[in-house]
Amino acid sequence: MEKEIKEMTFEEALLKLETIVNELEDEKIALEESIKRFELGVRLSSHCLAKLDEAEKKIEELTRNQDGKLVARELKLDDL
Amino acid sequence: MDSKIYTVSSLNLKIKNSLESGFSNLGVEGEVSNFYCHNNRHLYFDLKDDNSKIKVVMFYEAKKKLGFEIEDGLHILLSGYISVYEKRGDYQLIALDAEPVGKGSLALAYEQLKLKLKEKGYFEEISKKAIPTIPKAIGLVTSTGGAVIRDIITVLSKRFENFHLIVRNVSVQGLSASREICEAIDDLCEFDGGAGAGGTVVGSGEGTGASAGAGSGSGAGVDVIILARGGGSLEDLWAFNTQEVAQKVFECSIPVISAIGHETDFTICDFVADIRAATPSVAAQIVICDKNETIKKINSLLGRIKNNLEKNLSKSRQDLRYLSDRRIFKKPQTILLNFWQSHDTAGKKLADEAKSKIQSKKAAFGSLQILLDEKPIAGRIALNKMSVNNDLFRLSSGEKNKLESLKNRVGVLLKDMDSKSPVSVLQKGFALVLKKDNEKIIRSIDDASVDEQLQILLRDGILLSKILEKISKNTKAVD
Repeated sequence: MEKEIKEMTFEEALLKLETIVNELEDEKIALEESIKRFELGVRLSSHCLAKLDEAEKKIEELTRNQDGKLVARELKLDDL
Repeated sequence: MDSKIYTVSSLNLKIKNSLESGFSNLGVEGEVSNFYCHNNRHLYFDLKDDNSKIKVVMFYEAKKKLGFEIEDGLHILLSGYISVYEKRGDYQLIALDAEPVGKGSLALAYEQLKLKLKEKGYFEEISKKAIPTIPKAIGLVTSTGGAVIRDIITVLSKRFENFHLIVRNVSVQGLSASREICEAIDDLCEFDGGAGAGGTVVGSGEGTGASAGAGSGSGAGVDVIILARGGGSLEDLWAFNTQEVAQKVFECSIPVISAIGHETDFTICDFVADIRAATPSVAAQIVICDKNETIKKINSLLGRIKNNLEKNLSKSRQDLRYLSDRRIFKKPQTILLNFWQSHDTAGKKLADEAKSKIQSKKAAFGSLQILLDEKPIAGRIALNKMSVNNDLFRLSSGEKNKLESLKNRVGVLLKDMDSKSPVSVLQKGFALVLKKDNEKIIRSIDDASVDEQLQILLRDGILLSKILEKISKNTKAVD
């Protein structure tokens, strides 16, 4: 594995997953290899699914404080 | 002649004053030619029609207020006054403002900037950055007072419930808009997510919209920026058509989605941005994947891998069944029997070969011994004969006869012994034929079969041989 799955971005993991599926479906692959790929696919897909839940819902406004530092504060819009 | 005499300078000055007061506020329309701009400051050109032309100067103060660029061939309406360049005595139009004829100056400025940036390669696909599928945080440059931010949040909430949006509030129209937009882009690029000191700010009593930051920052800044504004006239959208903003978007290290106005509005910013969204709502669709769709997609990919594995497994099972149904696996003892048989054959062959080797050595040894023993035996016999003969002299005749007959008997016995030994038979040139495996003597053609190996013992060794054919005495081939 050229890159550890946990280091992968969502896009990289998804692309790898798609590649595996296409390879499995297009090529004749030995049982042992297809078990390996299945395991890899399971790990990639759970990595992707984890990435989807990584962020926390936040709506913030970026402003500068008195010291001129950038700060993100929760933005509350009345009619949302 | 009562005429007044002037110096050249005073005459030019008088003409200048006269022209400036006589043509103080005028407009003139014509085509630009011989355009020249020195150090990007004052503009010098001719304004001409089919039959005539006039020199024009537009000083920097007037030029910098123009939205568009003056260039050769442009049909424009200039306003200003006539003056004289005293050094050369040239009269010229001092242009204070210019306006393109036939279309608005904004439209012209737009076209000119678009062409200029296009030539500089700002719109090329190659310089477009990829938009992440799941941005960690989305930067949004817009006015928090407008409907646009609400539209975007609504769409984002539907697509990906746990999105992280960081809004940078700007004026989206007016004189300061383009500067504010540029600053906002800079701020979003600079913001690192508030992992440092920024995240711990405890502030209150500020603006009505924003309250103190609830949590610490995510530790990472935005990885995509949306520039958004609702629909409006060309003037309203102007900030997004300025070179300043175009330049900033082009140079921005974070991918930018431009979502300005309605579907039919194309701003310069749209062309420079990494992606143009037809409307702000569309930008919200582009900026993040639909979470449920994505989960479905991942599960379907996983399902395909599972199916493939199952297919492969069942095929392998089938292959296994096919193989295990074969005799060799059904009755594995068969292969064992074969194995034992070949083991035995090999073992026997080995033993036979060893035996035959021993046999041949034995035979060779035997014949050598015979050769060795032959002379001493003969010698000893001769010696004995001599002593017997000597004794004979001293013996009586009666005894002599007795001895003579004894001697005869010994001679007969010796002869008999010799003739009965198989070795002496071999010495005579006869051969002894033995079965190769058990060394039984072959006496009849029935004792051996065709292809069987035999040992033929000769005087000086053994010939290992094989039966080619059996021919019985009545000359008829058997087998």
